[in-house]
Amino acid sequence: MRKLIATIASKPSGALGLGLTLFHLVLAVLAPWIAPFDPTVQNADAILLPPNATHWMGTDTLGRDVFSRVVHGGRLAIAVTFSAAVVATLWGGFAGIFFGTVGGRVDEYSMRIADAFLSMPWLLFLLLIISIGGAGPLTIIPTLGFFYGVAVLRVVRGAAMQISARDFVTAAKARGEALWPILTREMFPNLSDILLVEGAMRWSWMLLAFSSLSFLGFGATPPTPDWGLMVAQERGLLSTAPWGVFWPCVALSSLIIGINLLADAVGKALGLDRATAAAV
Amino acid sequence: MKKPLLLTAAIAMASSAATAETLRIPHELGFGGSESMDPISPQRFYEAIQTVYSRLVRQGEDGRPSPDLALSWEATPDAKEWTFKLRPGVTFHNGNAFTAEDVAFSLMRTQSETIDSPTKGVMGIIDHVDVVDPQTVKVVLKDSHADFPLLTMDYRIKMLDAETCGGDLDALCESGNGTGPFELVDLDALGTTTMKRFENYYGNRAGVENLELIAIADQDARVAALQAGQIDLVYSVSAEQVPLFAGNPGFTVQSVPSGRWVGLVMNTQEAPFSDPRVRKAIRMSADRDALGKLVYGKGGYIVSCDHPVWTGDQYRKEIDCGRDVDGAKALLSEAGFADGLEIELFVSDISEGAVKMAEVLQNQAKDAGIEIELVPAPADGYWGDVWMKEAFFATGWSQRPADQILNEAYRSGVAWNETAWNSADFDAKLDSARSELDFGKRKKLYGELQEELWETGGSFIPVHLNITRVLSSKISGLPPVEGFSIRYEDLTKNGSGS
Repeated sequence: MRKLIATIASKPSGALGLGLTLFHLVLAVLAPWIAPFDPTVQNADAILLPPNATHWMGTDTLGRDVFSRVVHGGRLAIAVTFSAAVVATLWGGFAGIFFGTVGGRVDEYSMRIADAFLSMPWLLFLLLIISIGGAGPLTIIPTLGFFYGVAVLRVVRGAAMQISARDFVTAAKARGEALWPILTREMFPNLSDILLVEGAMRWSWMLLAFSSLSFLGFGATPPTPDWGLMVAQERGLLSTAPWGVFWPCVALSSLIIGINLLADAVGKALGLDRATAAAV
Repeated sequence: MKKPLLLTAAIAMASSAATAETLRIPHELGFGGSESMDPISPQRFYEAIQTVYSRLVRQGEDGRPSPDLALSWEATPDAKEWTFKLRPGVTFHNGNAFTAEDVAFSLMRTQSETIDSPTKGVMGIIDHVDVVDPQTVKVVLKDSHADFPLLTMDYRIKMLDAETCGGDLDALCESGNGTGPFELVDLDALGTTTMKRFENYYGNRAGVENLELIAIADQDARVAALQAGQIDLVYSVSAEQVPLFAGNPGFTVQSVPSGRWVGLVMNTQEAPFSDPRVRKAIRMSADRDALGKLVYGKGGYIVSCDHPVWTGDQYRKEIDCGRDVDGAKALLSEAGFADGLEIELFVSDISEGAVKMAEVLQNQAKDAGIEIELVPAPADGYWGDVWMKEAFFATGWSQRPADQILNEAYRSGVAWNETAWNSADFDAKLDSARSELDFGKRKKLYGELQEELWETGGSFIPVHLNITRVLSSKISGLPPVEGFSIRYEDLTKNGSGS
């Protein structure tokens, strides 16, 4: 692990990705101690103040400190999307390994179903499911996890087909080993690096998806400080009070860029080329 | 000879180009595309009916009754019979003559049980309408009403053509055939509804040739459309949106004191709001002045105490409704919520500041142990899908006279009784107030009704708004008057007035 981190950090892009991701994770964990104000406290005498010595990033339309809200703004998004990324990677990864190993008609039919899901306008489906099930994490995590898991499945299944054609898998089958030991002992160890990179990639995409949901009113609800929601609430004031939109955008973008750079660096460190490995 | 001809043609062309302007107004798509051209339909297309139809009496610039299709009116001493003299020579858009028969038809259909119009509660005082002659009608009331002409100023009490509507008092009439300054060309509530000037309009000839009503559900999108020059006015912008236009020579900003309010509604028949102590506790937890400042900015509001009668109304009752967190906690405790109360509030960007108001109340009510979870709802279709469907939700009303709004929103069983307020005593007092001929006694009765709403009602009306309207500087002829007093025929664009 240390070697992996050292390899990642040895490249500028990897070091930047690792730094940005760690920075945001630390910020999310320590937000209550870092933020100078309660992010939900409203102040009628401090509405839309530009950045100043007291409010470093200014205040919003309800007089709340933008810096405190930005610092807190990633907590829910990171928690929800990380959980959803784990769900997506686990089910998509397992299903991909399984279908890539067994092949045949089961694999063919399953992939057509997966292709059908991939062709659907996922955001509309997300909105539909969240409209029915509510906007809480208990709905959003499994929904995001399912939809993004389909993409993981497609990528991992492709890689699994290559692995399953190798001699050591053929030898295991010739030895009469059951399917489960083949999946867990022969296939999984050889695909874990792809799963790691895929998981990281999907996490960054999910962050964008969750923020989009919050922007549309289907993710975080007021008064929760959340980057997507902050942009939605202040978007009408871009020309007169841009700080309410600018800073949450900077925070969200920097985290997504950081995770992408980190995923790239991890892939390269593990000898994967994302350009060819990521089929979807 | 050639020169004068050319000159005349040039002037005619210039004149034609100048008057061929199109006025573009946004509409909020509040009924999700099922907007109706019948003015008394619960889903009336507000912006369209304002320009296509006319009333007997309309608001003057000062908000007082002013002649429209009725030139004069008088009452018997007991104010039970009102005679209206009608404007002669008026025609509908299809060429039919406007007569007293049309007035009788238009007024009596408001009583229809089948249509179940929101106007039924207010106009239910009409017993019958007698056609005296083609230019005179006598409205006979069930009881005296000293302010009856005020009721006929209701923006939905429009005069329809009885013949076009088939004379059926129980059927919706969505023909769009009115006597107003614009006639309907194409109805497309989801897109752009188009109208053209009615050349035979009895009043001032409309200052623009065409009128477009463009569906834009989102408030920020309406503001952006105005900035981009896609529409010509926005009826109301929020305090923080004012700097987008103030000082910009391309726009005119108008501040209009009004009886408009954006509020929250508790259904008094559904738990936990069926307990008046819970309702009062929620109201007492609010700091109205701070809320007004946060949502509408300094000078953008006037504090009110959960009754709909605004400061400009002669029957307004001033009540002390300061914040009392301890009192709210005590009431909640009595109601069985000593450990706090958790409720859901459905909100949407339906009216200026609705979502922010909910967020501010959420923050303030926390101090009294009331946890409000905000449930966002889409703005388009809100009035059909959420309003009066949930137990706690946002609302927005335009200015109405005291008698009208108290009857329209709080009389038992009326269509827009959004709080499901059901009190026989309240109804009886409403009847007494509207039939009382002595002004002082009438004012006292209306005041008692307002106090009752503060004590036990289901409305949360923390402020009345000073509307900030923004229009393109190309538009003229629109003084800073309340929305119902706008005379669309007087609006001109780029000096297109004729």
